[in-house]
Amino acid sequence: MTTGDDVTLDLDDIQSGALRERPSPYVGRYLLLRLDDVAQGRELVRRLHALLEDQRSASPSATRAWLTVAFTYEGLKALGVPPSSLDSFPREFREGMAARAQELGDVGESGPERWEPPLGSPDVHVAVSVLAPDPPALEAVAERARSRYADLASVAVVWRQDCYQLPSGRTSFGFKDGIGNPDIEGSGLVPRNSRERPIKAGEFILGYPDETGSLAPMPIPDVLGRNGTYLVFRKLHTNVAAYRRYLRDRARDRQEERLLAAKMVGRWPSGAPLALAPDRDEPSLGADPHRNNDFAYGDDPGGFKCPAGAHSRRANPRDSLESELTTDTRLHRMVRRGTSYGPQLPDDVLDDDGADRGIIFVFAGAHLKRQFEFVKTQWLNDGIFIGAPAERDPLVGAHQQPTDFTMARRPIRRRLRDVPPFVVTRGGEYCFAPGLRALRWLGELDT
Amino acid sequence: MTTTNDVPARPGVQVGSASEFTLFFTVLPGHAQALRDALRDLQNSPGYRPGDYEVPIASIHEARFVLFDDDTRLLFATSFDGPWDAYMEDFAAKPLQLFAAIFEHVEGFHGLPDVAAVKSFILGAQVSAAAYARNYPGTVKEHRRALRLAAAFQQVLDDPRAEEALSHPALKPLLDEASVA
Ligand code: HEM
Repeated sequence: MTTGDDVTLDLDDIQSGALRERPSPYVGRYLLLRLDDVAQGRELVRRLHALLEDQRSASPSATRAWLTVAFTYEGLKALGVPPSSLDSFPREFREGMAARAQELGDVGESGPERWEPPLGSPDVHVAVSVLAPDPPALEAVAERARSRYADLASVAVVWRQDCYQLPSGRTSFGFKDGIGNPDIEGSGLVPRNSRERPIKAGEFILGYPDETGSLAPMPIPDVLGRNGTYLVFRKLHTNVAAYRRYLRDRARDRQEERLLAAKMVGRWPSGAPLALAPDRDEPSLGADPHRNNDFAYGDDPGGFKCPAGAHSRRANPRDSLESELTTDTRLHRMVRRGTSYGPQLPDDVLDDDGADRGIIFVFAGAHLKRQFEFVKTQWLNDGIFIGAPAERDPLVGAHQQPTDFTMARRPIRRRLRDVPPFVVTRGGEYCFAPGLRALRWLGELDT
Repeated sequence: MTTTNDVPARPGVQVGSASEFTLFFTVLPGHAQALRDALRDLQNSPGYRPGDYEVPIASIHEARFVLFDDDTRLLFATSFDGPWDAYMEDFAAKPLQLFAAIFEHVEGFHGLPDVAAVKSFILGAQVSAAAYARNYPGTVKEHRRALRLAAAFQQVLDDPRAEEALSHPALKPLLDEASVA
């Protein structure tokens, strides 16, 4: 096996969405496009490639917006990518998210037959995301992107979703999000978690050694796969009123309500981790990027500070499973780039106002199966790994039936019963975000 | 590079939280005695000695290695908490190396170049059971917890004040178990 301690990442070729942190706060827009004609599709790709080249050569301080371009399997087909190349993509990508619904727990209200059209259908080909620090900047880039496809009659915008990040970083349940991301070897970013060696770049970007010492399976030809990354996006509706009411009903007082909510997440609303602030929120800790992700769970195997079943601890158990040998948690990490959509429910409102609100969950990684799907199915939707097979993630677990949530506590554990599902999947896609050279290759195909 | 993109998922037969995991290997010619020695060494090492109950891999209920067909074949059979196929890369990273002294005597293990090759080594050996049943539900973790609890309950029962203490209405489910526990 090869080891790759001194990898140099081709940062100029990698689309910035995967490795670069974003401006905060920001506003953004997701667009899904359908390509009805191969030649015009390739023309679009060439123009988007030119935009990305401009973005790359602009100085970082002058950069006012971030564009990311990705393709579904259907999209690569619509561009006329040769069959030998299409067949070389991993099975999960070729099948697409909707086909994996049963496995992922997207059933019942979250089932693909109830997804927002055209999500999960063969009409979704290209995904474009634009992020900018403020609405005028967003409009400017969106307009620049629009001008690249407006005259292409066979390129149709089939879905559009605006999104944003609040200055507080908080999403609809009231908790700051986007903190727990892995430190990545060679990314040039300052490591945030001193308790963990940075993760190999090959776990997130194709073409570099990963944690197993191998290269992740890459599509062929090499130029198409290298510097690419898989993106997963999911529109997740959050039932905020039901969530608040549930907590209100179970708590003796407002203080306990805040504690129960924090126990479910594994962090306080400010982002302060329970592992470092077990008893009360510490806003200065939550706000400090050099401290708010600098922790492990090794001193709390029983989950007295942060329950084993809390969302964050499930989604990344850190050193919790180290002694068990079954699981190498470094193989199941992800870069998350989630954003909020829809209006926030005003504080203290306990009745549903019917508005659609939630997060656009975005994953970036080199392995759909052993990263995204593993975390979703083994850690969030199941409890076998923590010895509680009947429990699901209390915040985001896919359970049709209500679940339990157990919190270790002295002298007697606390158990919440009948936690209903608070999140409904509105749809999503598995995408591939190629490197810039790969984009050019796609644009210049002449099959 | 080997690709395993199209290896079909064969998670084994699952009963409750556990799935059976059964692998058949072919012993390298001339390696039978060395393999027997390696298995004996394993059996004598901490965690694997009869009565140790501390197998380092925390999510298997039990495991056995069986040499058969005149020591030309090797069976490895276990019950694993969870769908083992989801953990394939994890196996390659740690547990498989733990058993390297054994697997180096079977065909296909030597010189595995990368994780994809390790995956096909495992998948090539795995056969799903035609029948599989369990006599108790639950994971290894739950069993260990339950055994700790049972031991604590025995300690309570051995205390002469137990009867009085257990007659509190909140403890009725425990009292119901106390007469035969
Ligand atoms: C509506 C759905 C979801 C909500 C509201 C939500 C919310 C949160 C919050 C508040 C945090 C803690 C802040 C942070 O560390 O950034 C978090 C962490 C995290 N979530 Fe989610 N999440 C959702 C869905 C998901 C899904 C579907 C996955 C994976 C499949 C996931 C994976 C993670 C991971 C990996 C972390 C970081 C854990 C760590 O490194 O400590 N989340 N999430």
